[in-house]
Amino acid sequence: MRIIIIGDGKVGHSLAERLIEEGHEITIVDRSEAVLERSVNTLDAMTVKGNGVNADTLTEAGAQSADIVIAVTVSDEINMLACLTAKRLGAKYTIARIRDPEYNKSIPFLMKELLIDYIINPERIAAQEISRILRYPFSGNIETFARGRVELMDFRLEKECGLAGTALKDLYTKKPNLPRVLFCAVQRGNEAVIPKGDFVLQEGDRVFVASDVLTITAFFKAIGKNVSGIRSVMIMGASRIAYYLCEMLLQMNMEISVIEMDEERARQFSEMLPGANVILGDGTDQELLISEGLENFDAFVTLSGLDEENIMAGLYARHLGVRKVIVKSNRDNYLELLGAIGLDSAVSTKQATGNAILRTVRARGAADAVAAIERLYRIIDGEVEALEFVVRREDSFIRIPLKDMSLKPDALIAVIVRFGQVFIPFGHDVLQEGDRVIVLIKGGGVERLDDVMETVKA
Amino acid sequence: MSFKLIFNVIGKLLTLEAMLMIPSLIVAMVYRQGDATSFLYSMGIILAFGLPAMLFLKPDTRDVRAKEGLVAVGLAWVLLSAFGALPFMFSGATAFYWDALFETVSGFTTTGASIFSQVEHLPRGILFWRSFTHWVGGMGVLILTLAVMPKISGRGSMLARAESPGPTFSKLMPRMTDNARLMYAIYTVMTLILTALLLLSGMPLYDSLIHAMGTAGTGGFSNRDLSVGAYGNVWAEMIIMVFMLLFGMNFTVYFRLLRGEGLKAFRSEEVRAYWLLAIGAMLLIAVNVLPRFGNFLAALRYSGFHVSSIMSTTGYVTADFTLWPQFSHILLLLLMLVGACAGSTAGGIKMVRVMLLGKASLREVGQSISPRKVRLITLDGKTVGEDTLRSVLVFFFIYMAFLLVGTMVASTDGHDFVTCFSAAASCLSNIGPGLGLVGPVGNFDIFSPHVKVLLTFLMLAGRLEFIPLLALFHPAIWKKGH
Repeated sequence: MRIIIIGDGKVGHSLAERLIEEGHEITIVDRSEAVLERSVNTLDAMTVKGNGVNADTLTEAGAQSADIVIAVTVSDEINMLACLTAKRLGAKYTIARIRDPEYNKSIPFLMKELLIDYIINPERIAAQEISRILRYPFSGNIETFARGRVELMDFRLEKECGLAGTALKDLYTKKPNLPRVLFCAVQRGNEAVIPKGDFVLQEGDRVFVASDVLTITAFFKAIGKNVSGIRSVMIMGASRIAYYLCEMLLQMNMEISVIEMDEERARQFSEMLPGANVILGDGTDQELLISEGLENFDAFVTLSGLDEENIMAGLYARHLGVRKVIVKSNRDNYLELLGAIGLDSAVSTKQATGNAILRTVRARGAADAVAAIERLYRIIDGEVEALEFVVRREDSFIRIPLKDMSLKPDALIAVIVRFGQVFIPFGHDVLQEGDRVIVLIKGGGVERLDDVMETVKA
Repeated sequence: MSFKLIFNVIGKLLTLEAMLMIPSLIVAMVYRQGDATSFLYSMGIILAFGLPAMLFLKPDTRDVRAKEGLVAVGLAWVLLSAFGALPFMFSGATAFYWDALFETVSGFTTTGASIFSQVEHLPRGILFWRSFTHWVGGMGVLILTLAVMPKISGRGSMLARAESPGPTFSKLMPRMTDNARLMYAIYTVMTLILTALLLLSGMPLYDSLIHAMGTAGTGGFSNRDLSVGAYGNVWAEMIIMVFMLLFGMNFTVYFRLLRGEGLKAFRSEEVRAYWLLAIGAMLLIAVNVLPRFGNFLAALRYSGFHVSSIMSTTGYVTADFTLWPQFSHILLLLLMLVGACAGSTAGGIKMVRVMLLGKASLREVGQSISPRKVRLITLDGKTVGEDTLRSVLVFFFIYMAFLLVGTMVASTDGHDFVTCFSAAASCLSNIGPGLGLVGPVGNFDIFSPHVKVLLTFLMLAGRLEFIPLLALFHPAIWKKGH
């Protein structure tokens, strides 16, 4: 694909590097000649000097025929305008990084009016990453659908799970209390399988399940997978990441304490998130940490603006024996070092942002120019595709019970989202206009929902 | 410094060079003048060095850094010329290796200076190879390697940067491989059009190919002793004249034309200045030589051809301009230094550098009058970075230093100033003929071996714009741990 990256900062540069490795044609736009010079010397990319909001600059960079334009300059406003300009010039898909929470409140409006296809909020992404590490330290993949309502995750099936040896259709009769998730795909050895009712799980399988956020957590707890069992988290620094993270963790009924030095911010934070326990004080003060009972918390997350403070506080928590310590670092080159000194869970906003954009680009690559597909992920080395569709009125299978549809052998309708409610479909359910449907299929080539069907019974 | 990587690239390049001898081999076999075996021997020797380097020296890094790029380009051109000289030796065309090397370097650097006083008796395969080196060297051998062997292009833009003429390197497409292929596609198509036009003008096929390749690379080797003048064919002269100027133009223009920008493609200060200077010089010389030719059209025919030949650094001739008045000599000499556009196949200081030097000089004067005023130098509406300006200034100094020292060394043979100075300038700017004894009817065989070696070095230095070649002599390159 032809991709234009506006802003040759850390995120932009590492994105360019990774996208070139994946075989894309990259053009980098930046205002600084010195920065571009570095890129020209190290990357097989074209560079254009200029402001990303300037139509001439974008034309020179080839925005008219670009498949994706990614705006990751330091300025939110430039990112938004660059996306709008690029879209007007003819770019097919635009991605903007937007940091200011003021803008983040009106994301749907911005996306619609400024024609931005994907807005990435680095703080939210970092919070999501931390939340994932806290909740599912065992899962390597976590993909989200339906604007984050549905999650698709994998885990390795072990003896203790108590699922092995049972056919899927008998699973819920045997264990009536098991929370309802959908078994989407299984990787056994090198083979990918879309499991049907008579599929029997085996120990050692890598299993992908999907459901809404709460249910999936409950499911993992029920099968004893939630090994971290983290119920209480202490957070240092009432930053923006902390805000998003608290919001996510509170939804899961965790106990949260936030330590903040600045009185005004502490007050504000407490106002916005009444469920969190906000403590006014210095998070690097060891006496304070002890008096607030740090050693009794399951996890400690350091989110202050200073890497060094985060690292020192994290080391102290580790010393006290806190089970899970997550440190935020702005500098990518610290991440390796941190592992060496025992802080193995480190999160960098930039890296998380880069990863999120990369995932979107990959999904886009497969769904290129197919408007009906909202989102696409590839799992199990790309053998299985997970796609999100919105059901439209003209779709042929509308109002037909699922049990009367005949899906292709390696396809599966996993989850339906209707009016914001997530549910796992059963045979008597019908699809309605406006439903979001998540479909898994082995191989690919699906462009419309109809492609998943073999034939429709009368 | 990764020598494995460098020699792997050079191995690929040598293998490619052996392949490039195939057309000449075919020509030699068609005309049966006994030179086919010299190509076979040469190919065998080149492959004996190239193939093992390509196959067994696995690069230990994928990063082609600036340093590796420079050294690879510098060494590549030296070795390519060293091996490219073999057919001249095997066929007996030259008696001494330095003569063969001079001729080959003159070919690859698209200079067109020759040590042969007469070429018509040489086998046609050898002559074809001589002109073929022009064609390959014009656009660049490493760019060709990038185009046909995409494996090294991972981060190979350093290679292309070090080889491409001009103060800045601008990519036309994001991927280096695509870039290299596009450049060669444009180049090949233009060469084919030229060949067809020359055929139409009545030139034989073999001669058309030779002159098309010589024009495309802005080289100037001919298969006739009297160069293009031998044909007395006005149409062929006009076609070559126009195409010499076209190949001296920045190739970005053709890319933009292909992209459908129409006349906007020509909106470049450099291209405009290039045409203005060319046309202005043609008229001035035409007026100056009017008494010799009697009518203005005849004067323009000869002045036009030689101005475009010298400016595009090709070096084809249709008349002996050493017999022209002094003013014409000096003007042609100045044009030799200027050369054509950056990003073309031509040599010289380059139009864009001359313009930047002029703008920087004007700025300096303005600055001394109002010292606190902020002045930016712009080109096509864009600010030129101070780094670029500095590199242009340094380039100009190095160029002048090489020119003057080259003149001095050339004078050790006892020839007159005009001969020595124009020989050095002609080699440094990759033109071919000079003035005085090395003019259109003279040749470079008048120099003794040590001067020939020096001129060979000047041609390489001029073609690579000094830095890649000079880098080879920098101690830091050869130290361990760098």
